[in-house]
Amino acid sequence: MPEKTSIGGAGLIGILILAVVLIAVPHLVSFSQQELLVLLTINVLVVVSYRLQTLTGEWSLAHVVMMGAGAYGSALFAKSFGFPVPLAMIAGAITAGVIATVLSFPLFRMKGFYFLIGSFAAGEILRLIWKRFTDPFGGPKGIQRIPGFPEIDLGFIHIDFYDPANYYYLVLVVVLVSLWVLYRVEKSRIGLTFHAIHWQDKLSESVGVDAFRYRMLAFVIASFFAGLAGALYAHYLSTVNPNQFDVNTMVYVLIWTIVGGTSRWYGPILGVVALTIVDEVILRSIGVDQVRPLLYGLILILAILFLPNGLESLVIKARDALRNRGGANLPNGQAVARK
Amino acid sequence: MKSASSISLTRRSLLTGAASAALLPLVGMPKASFAQENVVKIGFLAPLTGPVAAWGKPGLDGCKIWADWVNEAGGIEIGGKPYKVELASYDDEDDAGKARTGATQLIRENDVKFIMMLGGNSWPGVEEIAARQGMMVSTLLPSDLTPDTTTLIAPCEVHPIYNVTGVDWLAANHPDLKTAVVCAQDDALGKPSVATYLAAFEAAGITMASPPLFFDPATTDFAPVMTQLLANNPDILCLDTCYADYVQPLCEQAFQQGYKGKIISCTLDFYQRIVERTSKEFMEGVIFQFPDFDDKALNDPRINFKKPNEFFAEYVKRYGATEWSAVSWEYSSILDLWADAAQRAGSVEPADVLVAMKEGGKGKHAFGDARWWGKDLFGIDNALVGDWPVVVIRDGKATIAEFRSIPEWWDKNGQLLVKHMTDLGQMWNQRT
Repeated sequence: MPEKTSIGGAGLIGILILAVVLIAVPHLVSFSQQELLVLLTINVLVVVSYRLQTLTGEWSLAHVVMMGAGAYGSALFAKSFGFPVPLAMIAGAITAGVIATVLSFPLFRMKGFYFLIGSFAAGEILRLIWKRFTDPFGGPKGIQRIPGFPEIDLGFIHIDFYDPANYYYLVLVVVLVSLWVLYRVEKSRIGLTFHAIHWQDKLSESVGVDAFRYRMLAFVIASFFAGLAGALYAHYLSTVNPNQFDVNTMVYVLIWTIVGGTSRWYGPILGVVALTIVDEVILRSIGVDQVRPLLYGLILILAILFLPNGLESLVIKARDALRNRGGANLPNGQAVARK
Repeated sequence: MKSASSISLTRRSLLTGAASAALLPLVGMPKASFAQENVVKIGFLAPLTGPVAAWGKPGLDGCKIWADWVNEAGGIEIGGKPYKVELASYDDEDDAGKARTGATQLIRENDVKFIMMLGGNSWPGVEEIAARQGMMVSTLLPSDLTPDTTTLIAPCEVHPIYNVTGVDWLAANHPDLKTAVVCAQDDALGKPSVATYLAAFEAAGITMASPPLFFDPATTDFAPVMTQLLANNPDILCLDTCYADYVQPLCEQAFQQGYKGKIISCTLDFYQRIVERTSKEFMEGVIFQFPDFDDKALNDPRINFKKPNEFFAEYVKRYGATEWSAVSWEYSSILDLWADAAQRAGSVEPADVLVAMKEGGKGKHAFGDARWWGKDLFGIDNALVGDWPVVVIRDGKATIAEFRSIPEWWDKNGQLLVKHMTDLGQMWNQRT
């Protein structure tokens, strides 16, 4: 069920604190952690856009390949057709959306497990095309020396986006705008229809909802934003290759999403942030490089055993506890009424 | 900008520091005394986990031996001062994004003076930061080289060009073998290697029984791959530069499907396990390119790698015989070259060391004196080539059969190699 949308005073303070943290964080971490921050912020967009697609009840294994479509599209628009990079990024995202539209026709003839397998096959076809055709996709080695986001030089201020702190702010703006759009989509009538199709697809169709079109819409919107994330990624690293978008990467997206939880919009964000910090910061800092996959797997098993509803369930419990505490000071009955 | 982590004093670091200070008089000074405690840090940026870890982790293990030996001997004398060598490693997982993060950490936080990489998928993430910081970086995959990569060198393994020596030796010693097949994973490592084998077979008068078979790197069932390869009954089965995880099942499949011909491969990592899973008889005569360093042929005076037999013994003692792989010695041999150049330069700064290393266009490669080469193939003379060993399995043990010259082969057949590299889109100017 969609949650309440109004923001109270405490929520506003929380948002302000979050904003301060997001702005300050590149200056509080090391150089290498700034690099991680850029990739983490891009991955936030990947998982949140993925969640939008899962709202209709269909879990795709092609989401990372859609990210790749945006990355390849943007790289080619910029490198081969001379598009300015910001325009190439948008064109790359649109490319991913268009590919998703085309793939929708065969894929949404399937549902559930069959859709999952079908999406994997479709994604692999696309990935193998990149690998097979050296011209224009660069084959297994991919595309290299992709132009970076252009520097801004206004005389009194010079911004070089190769610097991870600067690129982080650019990515942050793009991701926040994207998250706002995705949030508004979910809270709109369209989003409610996605939920309806997930839980009662036959009933929805019986009242005139075109389930195919809504599933396609969710897939296309999710792919557009995944493509945008891919474009941000490609112009940051200056390289794309088919292996970056393989099923192993998709498994990570699934893990982040599942461990975070999918019933709230922030669930996958919690998942990707927590697991990235655990894997890339904590496990690396204790010098256990070679057993990182083992420890990471152990943490995942523990998370699934003890937090079956994801990390978001901790937030929900904490919020409920706070509300109940606040309610204890209220006159009888009001605490119950606020639940 | 200064990182928060570099300036913070935690309770743990305070306690550790206090405990160390208290214990110092008890444990005494270290064996080698570094008067001013001059330390030079070397970065190791390669896959330590994941499917390509076999070409990273054993190399780091070898480097640890190298550093321990150097430090026990008093360090490296550079500019009149002894320098202790410290290794700083980062697992790049064969991924460009992680390699960029790792390179940033090594250069800007660990202050390393030289970075050793496997290269390939991870190099594009490092290319710009290396150029901007003027950092000298080594790769095992010279296909990373272009005219723009002026601080990137391939000083040890000129993959896959040395594969020509194996085919050359095979043709000379088994002139009856006339047909071959080749397979490789469809990636940046497999393709240039296939081009090299095709050129070498053509130069040796060996014809291809079927076109090269490229399989997906995600392949786990190699039975159909092998069935397809053996369909035309080839005299030679070439496993190209397949990853360690593929070579073993491919050999097992060849064994199970009753293959009786000759096998040639670039690597044969952890070959003891393959011998165990097939048989000594089946593996007898398999040709590859990476020796065990207990081989007596490596004691020849022209070999520049220091104490190869002792190095191998120490490696086996620390990590076990079955952990020895193609790269166990390679990064250490690069460290030998770096140390020699730094001593001649009298400096540890990357630009000075690079100039000293390439001085006169010649260098001391692990397997003998060599020349800086590569302009025709990579657009830049940053690859060190000379002789390379041809290794043959004899009675279940890797044995050097002969050293053969790569430059000599190139001088005779260079155009063939360019032709096949071009056909597979592997020339530096064909890379997108």
